[in-house]
Amino acid sequence: MPVPLQATGTATPTGTAANGTAGAAPPSAPLADAISGLLGGGLLGDVVGALLGAFLIANLMLIMTAVAGPWAKRKITAAFTDRIAVNRIGPFGLLIIVADAVRLLSKELVIPDGADRPAFDIAPIVLPFSALLGFAVIPMGNGIHLADPETGLVFAFAASSIASLGLIMAGYASNNKYSLLGGLRSIAQNLAYEIPLVITAASVVIFTGTLQMSGIVAQQTETLINVGGIRIPQWFAFVNPFAFVLFLAANMAEIGRNPFDIPEAPTEIVAGYQTEYGSVYFVLFYLGEFIHIFLGGAIMATLFLGGPAGPILPGFLWFIIKIWAFFLFTQWARSAIPRVRIDQLIEIGWKGMLVLSFANLVLTAIIVGVIA
Amino acid sequence: MIGLLKGMATTMKHALDGKTFTVEYPDVAPEVSPRFRGVHKFSQERCIWCRQCENVCPNDTIQIVQDDQRNGEQYNLHIGQCIYCRLCEEVCPVDAILLTQNFEFTADTKDDFVYNKEQLKNVPWYKDIDPLASREPDRGAWIGEGEGEVDYQ
Amino acid sequence: MSLEEPSPDAGAIEAVPQTADELADLLGDRVLDREEHVNAPGFVVRPDEVQDVLFTLRDEAGYDHLSCVTAQEYEDRYESIYHLKKYDDPTDEVSVVVPTPSDAPVSQTAEPVYRTADWHEREAYDLVGIDYDDHPDLRRILLPETWQGHPLSRDYDQSRPQVVALREHANPLQEDQRAGDGDTMFLNIGPHHPATHGVLHVKATLDGEQIADLESDIGYLHRCEEQMCQQGTYRHQIMPYPDRWDYISAGILNEWAYARAAEDLADLEVPEYAQVIRTMSAELCRIASHMLAVGTFALDVYGDFTAIFMYAVRDREKVQNILEDLTGQRLMFNYLRLGGVVWDLPEPREEFFEKIRDFLDDLPESLEEYHDLITSNEILQSRTVGTGVLPPEVAKSYGATGPVARGSGIDYDLRRDDPYGYYDELDWDVITDDGCDNFSRLFVRLREVEESAKIIEQCVDILEDWPEDERTIQSNVPRTLKPEADKEIYRAVEAAKGELGIYIRSDGTDKPGRFKIRSPCFSNLQTLPEMSEGEYVPDMIASLGSLDIVLGEVDR
Repeated sequence: MPVPLQATGTATPTGTAANGTAGAAPPSAPLADAISGLLGGGLLGDVVGALLGAFLIANLMLIMTAVAGPWAKRKITAAFTDRIAVNRIGPFGLLIIVADAVRLLSKELVIPDGADRPAFDIAPIVLPFSALLGFAVIPMGNGIHLADPETGLVFAFAASSIASLGLIMAGYASNNKYSLLGGLRSIAQNLAYEIPLVITAASVVIFTGTLQMSGIVAQQTETLINVGGIRIPQWFAFVNPFAFVLFLAANMAEIGRNPFDIPEAPTEIVAGYQTEYGSVYFVLFYLGEFIHIFLGGAIMATLFLGGPAGPILPGFLWFIIKIWAFFLFTQWARSAIPRVRIDQLIEIGWKGMLVLSFANLVLTAIIVGVIA
Repeated sequence: MIGLLKGMATTMKHALDGKTFTVEYPDVAPEVSPRFRGVHKFSQERCIWCRQCENVCPNDTIQIVQDDQRNGEQYNLHIGQCIYCRLCEEVCPVDAILLTQNFEFTADTKDDFVYNKEQLKNVPWYKDIDPLASREPDRGAWIGEGEGEVDYQ
Repeated sequence: MSLEEPSPDAGAIEAVPQTADELADLLGDRVLDREEHVNAPGFVVRPDEVQDVLFTLRDEAGYDHLSCVTAQEYEDRYESIYHLKKYDDPTDEVSVVVPTPSDAPVSQTAEPVYRTADWHEREAYDLVGIDYDDHPDLRRILLPETWQGHPLSRDYDQSRPQVVALREHANPLQEDQRAGDGDTMFLNIGPHHPATHGVLHVKATLDGEQIADLESDIGYLHRCEEQMCQQGTYRHQIMPYPDRWDYISAGILNEWAYARAAEDLADLEVPEYAQVIRTMSAELCRIASHMLAVGTFALDVYGDFTAIFMYAVRDREKVQNILEDLTGQRLMFNYLRLGGVVWDLPEPREEFFEKIRDFLDDLPESLEEYHDLITSNEILQSRTVGTGVLPPEVAKSYGATGPVARGSGIDYDLRRDDPYGYYDELDWDVITDDGCDNFSRLFVRLREVEESAKIIEQCVDILEDWPEDERTIQSNVPRTLKPEADKEIYRAVEAAKGELGIYIRSDGTDKPGRFKIRSPCFSNLQTLPEMSEGEYVPDMIASLGSLDIVLGEVDR
């Protein structure tokens, strides 16, 4: 969890302040420090600050997921399919979230006979846990940044890949062949696409020279070019669009979304690793999947879209807009793109994406070496 | 790649043009054509108790009880079991039983769906549309001559 | 009947015997007796010479399509009838009748000759009780394995209910799984499954993700349709039932199969006006059925309820609205009657025609969308091209018909080859594709929608100009129709999924003596193991989607 490496209390929030130099800003924990500063500092203040900060960010993410899952997903899918979806309960149908929550939580928790008990119960917790853990290091603008270690990027990736452990636990512990198939597929998929993902991120690091998230964001606030009075910032999506597209594809595969949603291909293996889960566990899986989508969007926004940067509106709002844009993109892809077969998926991962991401890395290294 | 993008563009076009194909039932009543086959309506005044409807029903859904002077006592129709084929209306010589366009009927148990004479008489017309009017034109379209002998029984 | 000259592209075969007498000469002394069915000459043969006779007919006389195997029980004997046709000329039919004694009904299997006979004979064994010697796997197919008795035989007490304990329904591979080397995994796909198009149970043995062995277990939707039709009168009571065989919007096509068979049995005429209306409504049904087939195929490959499924359902709704105006119902039409149709077009006619024309005008745009979303999508092409391969020879031996056969390059369409209705007076094409894989079957269906639209447009033009006092919708048919006793007929139409055939034997009363339904999906489903053994599970799901089966028709 977030531990400020400096002296407590007065670390400066380094969110959107243009820092200029391609170097490591001192690691800090802006949000935690801000809260603990309010409480007067000291060890108690730090601990309470850290916990409260984590609580706030987790709640924020969960609220967004709650809106995205039962409500936004249905509305967006309905728009793509010429329908009107949830519109009866509450204004714009928003109370469907409450209705869905009550409905799902009131269902009977069925434990299949022969399920591997501790693993069966822990798996649904691991999935959202890993995603929320990743959110600890994402800079969200306006000082809302829970921790800023020097190796923030690596931490984000590491946290989100704990999810694979959860999936394989769910797949195996369910005592169900469909779940096993789903779990194995998901592990194969995660392994195949993890490396291109990280290597493409590494190409961004070559640009910035730092793994610290705030540093990466700060780098992107510089100007790329000036087009007719409009200043275009140095977002890495503009600098290296090839890497952006590659990262987008690898991200879709990591979070298990069309066209790579094989682990839970409903028409083939019923529900994959989620088959045997009902009630609370299902809610956890469902939410966990959406938090992962938002985490993927957040990492992409931080790395390629300048994080919480944008004109007029406060940075935090831009951040929310960017991760919702990513969510919309996944829903769009879900409506229109078919699913690839597992062997084609692995082939694309190991033969296609890996080669391309290495090529991208070399290219970036050359460019940086030549320019700088 | 191009095919993928074309597909995505098509769905986005649908999303953005804002037309929906669904109707918000029950706020908006769906369009029902005049020939729609819904719940039956029975008129005891017209019925001549010929029992043709009972005979022709593929499902044995109609049950008629007569006393020993061949007066009609009961006319029961299980609207849950009925397959709405309309053969009873077709063979009825006096239009004593008709299918209205009414499709909204409910009951608490399956047995409540057995409608007797009274209930069948009280089935409302859907939006006050008389279904016979939509079948009127068929009285103009003649049953033609065939090659075989005319053999009506 | 079968008095035409042999087709010119019969290859290097010399004069192929076509008339009944020539066939009798060909078969020589294996023919015990000759019968005359309404549609074909019948040859009675001995039960232990079945394979011999069928091999001769297939190899030397060119009858390569085993259309149907009917089994029935008379008072003094059992009988199996093999209805043979030719793919090149379906009007050339012959029936091989195999009587077997009542106390020991054993006859030789036809499975080595035609793979179609595999499941058809299993069904005959299941429902009627005839044993087939040397059949590779004679088990019950529609009823549960522990069922006692044969429902369609004469000594079965149909009023006594039977409860079958499924606990005895053992998993036949259970022991192998535990005792074997554990290389393969047995997986039950269905009957509760989002992708099996109904209640179909597929027993798959998987080697990793590849399918080592596949077996379909059907019968979950068996509703005794044949028996119910045998209890209804020809004139009125049977007609609502065909709607319920292929219940995915192909109602009028099914009803036409029955209407055609019964009309030919009882020698009834149908006025031309009614034929045009029948053709138009049947093609509307075909469009609706293919739309749903495409939509559910997209569902299998793209994942739940994506845009394509919704668009397909939306287009189908438009067709259903038109049919609702015409027939009064959206799915179970009950619109055809023996001798014609029950109602004329709705008044005002111009409005109805305009509705149809509007729909036809929007159709090319919708089809463009489907082509954008489906056929030109690279991922879909990589998923479906080259998977689910069904070579034409295999398809023919399994008796596959409809878009499944046409997607393998077999040019077989009953609307053109065995014309009925108004099809032979209209201008349209039969779509075939040589791909033999999932993609070509999908493509054939999309193109067939265009052809159906052409037919409908021509019909609408004809109906509009039809003089008002010549609009006879039904020829006169007696209230009680009693065809002569012991007349047998087998007639087929091109339903949405393939060749839907009906065999009726009349016994002098107003109800059929035997009513056998040859359903296209039953024969098409049999090809599934051929298509998917050795391929991956997702490909098997895609193949199942491209076969487009409707369990109501498979199980009847």
